[in-house]
Amino acid sequence: MILQIDDYSLDYATRAGPRRVLDGVSLSIAAGEVLGLVGESGSGKTSLAWAIMRALPGNARESGGAIRLAGQDLRGLGGAALRAIRGKRIGMVFQDPATSLNPTLTLGRQLTEVLERHQGLSRADAWRAGTCLLARVELRDPAAMMRRYPHEVSGGEKQRVVIATAFACRPELILFDEPTTALDVITGARILDLFARLRRETGVAGLYISHDLSLVARVADRVAVLEQGRIVEEAPPARLFTAPRDAYTRRLITAVPHPDRRLVEDAPGGAALLDLRGITVRYGRAGLFARRRPAAVRGVSLEVRAGEILGLVGESGSGKSSIARAATGLAAFQGSLALDGRPVAAMDRAYRRAVQIVFQHPDSSLNPRHSVAQLLARPLRLYGGDLAEIPRLLEQVRLPADYARRYPHQLSGGEKQRVAIARAFAARPRLVICDEITAALDVSVQAAVIELLLELRRAHGTAYLFITHDLNLVRQIVHRIAVMRAGELVDLLPAAALPTARTHPYTRELMDACPAPIG
Amino acid sequence: MIRRLLRTPQGAIGVVLLALVALACVFGPALAPRDPEALDFLGRFHPPGAGHWLGADQLGRDVLSRLLVGARTTVPLALLATLLGTLSGAVLGTLSAYLGGRWDEAIMRTVDAVMAVPGLLLALLIASTLGKSGGNAMIAVAVAFVPGMTRVTRSVALAARRQDYVAAAIARGEGGAWIVLREMLPNVAAPVVIETTIRVSFAVMLFATLSFLGLGAQPPSSEWGLMVAEARRFLHQAPWMIAAPGGAIALTAIGFNLLGDGLRDALNPRDER
Amino acid sequence: MSARWLLRRLLLIGYTLLVVSLLVFAITQVLPADAAVTLLGENATPDALAAVRVQLGLNDPVWLQYAHWLGGLLHGDFGTSMRSGQPVLPVMLTALSRSLLLAVLSIGLMLAVAVPLGVLAALRRGGAIDLLAGLVAYLGVSLPEFVTATLLLILFADMLHWLPATGYVPLAENPADSLRHLVLPVVTVSLILVAHVSRMMRSETIDVLHSDYARAARLKGLSPATVLFRHVLRNALLPVVTIVALDVGYLLGGIIVVEEIFAIPGIGRQLIVAIQNRDLPSIQAGALVMAATYAVANFLADVAYAVLDRRIRYD
Repeated sequence: MILQIDDYSLDYATRAGPRRVLDGVSLSIAAGEVLGLVGESGSGKTSLAWAIMRALPGNARESGGAIRLAGQDLRGLGGAALRAIRGKRIGMVFQDPATSLNPTLTLGRQLTEVLERHQGLSRADAWRAGTCLLARVELRDPAAMMRRYPHEVSGGEKQRVVIATAFACRPELILFDEPTTALDVITGARILDLFARLRRETGVAGLYISHDLSLVARVADRVAVLEQGRIVEEAPPARLFTAPRDAYTRRLITAVPHPDRRLVEDAPGGAALLDLRGITVRYGRAGLFARRRPAAVRGVSLEVRAGEILGLVGESGSGKSSIARAATGLAAFQGSLALDGRPVAAMDRAYRRAVQIVFQHPDSSLNPRHSVAQLLARPLRLYGGDLAEIPRLLEQVRLPADYARRYPHQLSGGEKQRVAIARAFAARPRLVICDEITAALDVSVQAAVIELLLELRRAHGTAYLFITHDLNLVRQIVHRIAVMRAGELVDLLPAAALPTARTHPYTRELMDACPAPIG
Repeated sequence: MIRRLLRTPQGAIGVVLLALVALACVFGPALAPRDPEALDFLGRFHPPGAGHWLGADQLGRDVLSRLLVGARTTVPLALLATLLGTLSGAVLGTLSAYLGGRWDEAIMRTVDAVMAVPGLLLALLIASTLGKSGGNAMIAVAVAFVPGMTRVTRSVALAARRQDYVAAAIARGEGGAWIVLREMLPNVAAPVVIETTIRVSFAVMLFATLSFLGLGAQPPSSEWGLMVAEARRFLHQAPWMIAAPGGAIALTAIGFNLLGDGLRDALNPRDER
Repeated sequence: MSARWLLRRLLLIGYTLLVVSLLVFAITQVLPADAAVTLLGENATPDALAAVRVQLGLNDPVWLQYAHWLGGLLHGDFGTSMRSGQPVLPVMLTALSRSLLLAVLSIGLMLAVAVPLGVLAALRRGGAIDLLAGLVAYLGVSLPEFVTATLLLILFADMLHWLPATGYVPLAENPADSLRHLVLPVVTVSLILVAHVSRMMRSETIDVLHSDYARAARLKGLSPATVLFRHVLRNALLPVVTIVALDVGYLLGGIIVVEEIFAIPGIGRQLIVAIQNRDLPSIQAGALVMAATYAVANFLADVAYAVLDRRIRYD
């Protein structure tokens, strides 16, 4: 066994007493094997990675168990012995390459320092070896790449450098902590391909930590599911998806978006509710000393029909959020809007009431100094309504009525997003624009929020413009899909037609990058 | 809120120090053991001890009594100067952040330019223009605070402006007054209050410095900076004459600094205690 | 760093000086001092005073007076002192050169103390050095320069006789004696800066120590010293560069007080004398020279930042 963890438990000392993070965790990874570790936020999966690397925070208390690397218990090792293992026998790939690389050192320096440290290479030899390593992770012009600084290269290129660093000393084990979460879908898919190739070539063992069950299923030989510090189930991915034994695993699997499992069956009528014509959005202005930035959205036209769910898909920087900002008067734009066929000259109260928006981060979209009751009272005061409706609004999003007195920081992420949804529905809108509203949430919470949205739609006949980067999620719930890339609309077609229709090559690429989960 | 403040060590010490200072400001003359103006030729340079707890000065006046009476001419003026300067700066900073674009650019570049004149120099110029007096020194200190507070408020206001709750309010069709007063202000207020508290300590020091340089309070006032200035001639004979007002200035300044740090912890809405 | 950025930055210095000139002119115009009386004395005849007023342009509208004055500035003519009759600019520049020695030494001492103090406090949070640094910080920002200076004088000059009390010796004349005279002023001026910068350095270091890339460096198996010197220090120092430049404002203010107490004939002392004498041209020239010093210091800091931090592209 390369890695063997036996009955390992961990607590964090907090003001309110010890809090259990890992509870009797046992797992093992054989040579050349990749174990996937799946859990939602707070499950303790990242703490386990720190425990293996022996980099736990100061308030961590280990209450038992062993962590063995090739038979040697890491728990008893001192500083020098650990430093000889870190980077040499265990490599690590981090979640966000933008923050895990030092901004003031060249990529080459950050790669070669491991070679100098662990292989005793001279500066010049390490540089040559580093250049070869960058070529192996399929970076073009590795010699030039070595001399660049992190801010000069893309996110995917950065992550390749981090991977090259992790593989540099031919470690026995590599820990991957959500290595594609911070990347765009297509970039992430290519990183996974690279990892698969390097794995074949080197035969390294891996622990792949992620919140994304379907992603882990693609890279791992076995998958362990972590729930609140306990491993509830461990199985090969195919078996896990087809015959989950544990109740929590089953819930997790049903929560994973699956394009074939449609959640919306009706086909709403054809009348256009909101019509966007030739929308162009530009930020900033040309000044004496600043050049004008390129447009975030260029000449996009699309319509949301009454009662319809329209999905708007694209990677970061594609301009999908700018569409939302234009339609809600948050960004100046060229082009025209029409509501119910009547041109919108100025965004009057009637328009704003009809078109509501829910943002990605409820932490930011709910004013921390307003109570839930105050937050919900605003639309009622503005658009007319009775303050006595507040308990009903809360009940509608399945929150207890006494939450009205709470403040946002006293709620969980999912609860906050429910309050934001309740606020949008307090206006009794015709269209709600959902801008990545589940991107910051766990899968099970995401599934519950989606279910809530669909239920609200059944009750009120509301149309949604659902903006997301998650193609699988969108294919479950929308009637039509719009695909954006670099400020332009490249595809607009019925969701049902997506698998068979002749689409833009970019749409095809997006679909390939997020295959449907097994099962 | 106050309980949370007192639970932080800095806040608790700061509150105690400032309570003492406030006591001296309100009841100073009543608490003074002797008449601060009374001359006593035989008691000149009386060292600290029985009779004169903090010693006597070159005219035999009781230093402790002068200190207690002098609190009134130092601390309230410094507070008022800070409030005036902060308020003007906060209005200008919020306006700049709210207007944005070219106006923001113009206001901030001008504020940056004014900051090129050191605060003390600006205060000196204004105090000498208006004439030597405590009141004029207060105006001078207030003006010297405006550019710095403008910058602080603007950056805090811009941070609040970028939050989605402001975007949500705009999308909802809220009016400008609601957005500024109800959405932004409560979130801007806390950092500005903290900054203001800490700046009172600067004001106390700046104020005393002006008096020290002869451009603030005038003799026979027992303003603390002036006491230090007068005592300098006698530092060989009577070092306590400097130590007492110097210490009073320092303790007041430390008090406001500690209170500011304590408020920083207590005013954080996300911090559950 | 592009030419465009440099141009913009230089234009900003020009704008700064323009605003400062306007501000200084506006403040000094309100001064209840009649330049004619200052020049001729209290006993001058009304006719003579009137003639001088015409000669000085004091009867012109205010904006015209400002234009004349500004025009003079652009030609390097800052006017002549009302007391000595000497051109004011050379006097102020000579004084500035003496102050700069004091300022540079103070910044040097401040950096030598504040940076290690802040880093050590951050490395051992809650330890003895951290507590000491916290105490220094509170004392530093709570003791006005005139109190610190006086206390240092009592201790080191009067009681211990280690250092001379006041006075100024040119560096070229006797370097050792010159520096001995500067020790107490430099320590006084540095204290408040040490307080401020060591706190900044502490919090920046703590932030960087907790950053993902510092953790990544530790998990590469690098030694703590390598992590600190290669990965942490450089990034923690960057924001401090900007803070130090902004602190030049405090520094110049502190210099005014310290020069007055230690009798150093620098620009601060000249300004105090000019203010006491209501010598308008000297006040205006002194204030402008100080503002220019601040503007140039901030410009240099921006350039240093641009060189140190490759992320920021100035265009």
